[in-house]
Amino acid sequence: MAGDEIKIEDISKPSKQMIKLRLEDLMPLPPPYDKPGMEPELTDPKPEWREKYVTELDGYIAIDVPFKPKTKEEEEKLVKSFLEGLQKLVSKEGNWTFLQPLLLSLEYCAKCHTCSEACPIYVSSGRKEIYRPTYRAEVLRRIWKRYLTPAGKTFGKFVSGDIELNGTTIMRLAELAYRCTLCRRCTQTCPIGVDNGLITHEIRKLFSQEMGIAPKAIHELGTVQHLKVGSSTGMTPDGIKDIIEFIEDDIEEKLGRRIEIPVDEKGADILLIHNAGEFLSWPENPAAFAILFEEAGISWTLSSEALGYDGVNYGVWYDDVQLARIAVRHAEIARKLDVNKIVIGECGHAHKALTVIADRVLHDELNIPRESCLPILWDIVRKKKLNLDPEKNNFPVTLHDPCNIVRLMGIVEPQRKILKEICPQFREMSPNGVYNYCCGGGSGFAIMNSMNFPEWRAKVSVRMKCKQILSAFQDCIDPSIDKYVCAPCSNCKGAIRDILEHYQLTQNCSIYYGGLVELMVNAMVDLEEPFLEF
Amino acid sequence: MGISALQLSSYVAFAVFVIVVAAKWRKWASMPLHLRWELYPVPHEAGKHHYGGSYLEEVDWWKKPRHTTLAGELKDMLAEMLFIKRVYVYKRPLWWLTYPFHAGIYLILVWFALLVVHGILNVYVSIPALDSIVKVLIQITGTIGIIAATLGCLGLLFRRLSDSAMKKYSSGVEYFNLLFILVVLLTGIAVWMNDTSFENAMAYMTALVSFGSVEAPQLSQLAQFHVVLMALLWMYIPFTKMSHFVGKYFTFHKVLWEDEPNLRGSKLEAKVREAVRQRMPWSAPHLKKGKTWLENAAEVE
Ligand code: SF4
Ligand code: SF4
Repeated sequence: MAGDEIKIEDISKPSKQMIKLRLEDLMPLPPPYDKPGMEPELTDPKPEWREKYVTELDGYIAIDVPFKPKTKEEEEKLVKSFLEGLQKLVSKEGNWTFLQPLLLSLEYCAKCHTCSEACPIYVSSGRKEIYRPTYRAEVLRRIWKRYLTPAGKTFGKFVSGDIELNGTTIMRLAELAYRCTLCRRCTQTCPIGVDNGLITHEIRKLFSQEMGIAPKAIHELGTVQHLKVGSSTGMTPDGIKDIIEFIEDDIEEKLGRRIEIPVDEKGADILLIHNAGEFLSWPENPAAFAILFEEAGISWTLSSEALGYDGVNYGVWYDDVQLARIAVRHAEIARKLDVNKIVIGECGHAHKALTVIADRVLHDELNIPRESCLPILWDIVRKKKLNLDPEKNNFPVTLHDPCNIVRLMGIVEPQRKILKEICPQFREMSPNGVYNYCCGGGSGFAIMNSMNFPEWRAKVSVRMKCKQILSAFQDCIDPSIDKYVCAPCSNCKGAIRDILEHYQLTQNCSIYYGGLVELMVNAMVDLEEPFLEF
Repeated sequence: MGISALQLSSYVAFAVFVIVVAAKWRKWASMPLHLRWELYPVPHEAGKHHYGGSYLEEVDWWKKPRHTTLAGELKDMLAEMLFIKRVYVYKRPLWWLTYPFHAGIYLILVWFALLVVHGILNVYVSIPALDSIVKVLIQITGTIGIIAATLGCLGLLFRRLSDSAMKKYSSGVEYFNLLFILVVLLTGIAVWMNDTSFENAMAYMTALVSFGSVEAPQLSQLAQFHVVLMALLWMYIPFTKMSHFVGKYFTFHKVLWEDEPNLRGSKLEAKVREAVRQRMPWSAPHLKKGKTWLENAAEVE
């Protein structure tokens, strides 16, 4: 099926695949990607995947744990377990954490579709019905109405609409919960305040908290590993100490003198927590933080205790209990170190998880103040604590707004003010600020790499951001000019790295990416060699 | 004199409406504390709302006074309530239908309120100058209201039937709701055609307001039918999602704009302490079913 004639009730009807994506249907990209042959073709799922995993939605697999029922009994068990989970999801006992927002969103949608065009996934896909913000929400709403409300039980289809709850519905709904980045851009446009992003979040929760079903990268290798080993990257406390030493060596090479990175220093003002992915993939980011904080005379420390060096909290995407477990560990570490506050490095979801969401979990001695790194960084620039020369950053720079920091926390200006001070060729993407588009790697997508999911991410999920980046640089798209996408978020950087690789933006257009602190250090007058390497 | 069955139906309808709406309000207001889930722009952020900023943009934000503005919130609320701004901005073609419909209904509600004022002026206090102004206003709001609402309702019904995306998502009850309103509006128009100055409506409301001391006018069968239908609609609305005027308050004020920080020693902190002591009923293997949230957070294998 092309995908636009799909109806809600089709989710229950057995078929090989509800839709098949085609390159020609996808949202067109700006020059030079407006010509055919500029991007790789789409592929079909391997036949052996179909046996174990759910390819019945769109052929792509986000959930890489096999939960496909093989027998009638298994199917019945799946349905029963789903309904029990749904019952908990709509009860005070089961879901104090999100009951009010969820029920409001289930009850009041007017089906006006004002929200559809706001969704980057829906639009990028060429407006495939199953990706419409309201599609998965309406599936859940119909099941809830039909099976759990008195009106639905009495009047059936007339009230709830057409839906059948069977194994196929559940399998597809589980996959569908991983076709939305939880960016909540759709929610901004809803006249009633209905939150389709939240409904996605709650579906994921039902699958995780009741049925133990979630992508491995998020659960098994994510929160479970994080709690067990200390980091979702697998990095141990010993590992982080080694890496910090490497970073110190690296700084010495670039700065011409050694900086001792404070680790586990009790009584410091700030505990700085990075996303551990930075240490492995972008060590220049924690290095830049160290240079800036030291040069600015800030009292700070890193932690080498398990979890203390990895600020991520994947729980925020799919499981409230895992979220609480990780947030509590983070706060405990800060308490033990006796710091005045926790500052979150350049990681969007870590920002939101610990500062905002966990604000209703932490209490008493664990209720330690938490804040974003961005206001502090702006303070450093504003108070001229460093000698910065904008000419050193005299190349086109654009800014990506991480949804978690901007739309979901209202931290909009500090990063812009910094860039306006230190990057003479700074230009905004459009739209930007709180109305930005997600990088496409949100809600776990950037780290989900099983089977063919990366293809879906590259073709659909990050497509809008690719378009925005190209558009922001149209006046200097020529590959002879180096350009920089500033993304002050580890997760977003992962997604942008994907965009650059898949669409070959670096080769074709000389577009590079990195964080904000790297640009700040690059502008330091004291530095003889450029900090940025491109 | 006395109260007729027809009048009784009007009283009952109004009472049901008020009671059920109040019950719904209570239901939403008594929901448990939820995790923070605000969405920017949050309009009460003084000085920052215009670009979507928040108090979290400040270093040591918890040490600083929070600057909030009620005016900002009112402005946003009124723009949404009176002009349905989000639909105007993001889905203009639909706005041309939904706006006359909603504005028409608002005007009809104002018309109702004016009928009540007129009744009071006739039964309890006599202020002739005010009464003549009220009569003019009744004329204006009633006429424009019923025409706008009817056209909007017809448009919305037509759109729901013809727009394939809307059709796919609509269940029987959604058509029924629109049809129900349409029938009430159309019978209202038919009654109004024989009573363009709303004399009967005013007299009927005066009788209602007098609680039996003023005799009700002799209404035509059509008018009686309309009054009964109207009563049914008033009783029906609060049970359906057409009562989204209640939901909307909570979605915005208690979820999307709810950014109260949990400061040490605050009332909110006490609520959080209470919330995490609840038992957790979920069954997945990585969770400890039956233990509290706090225990779950503390104990990890
Ligand atoms: S979520 Fe809001 S905007 Fe979207 S269809 Fe429902 S009421 Fe309309
Ligand atoms: S939250 Fe974002 S990705 Fe999900 S449906 Fe809404 S706009 Fe689309």
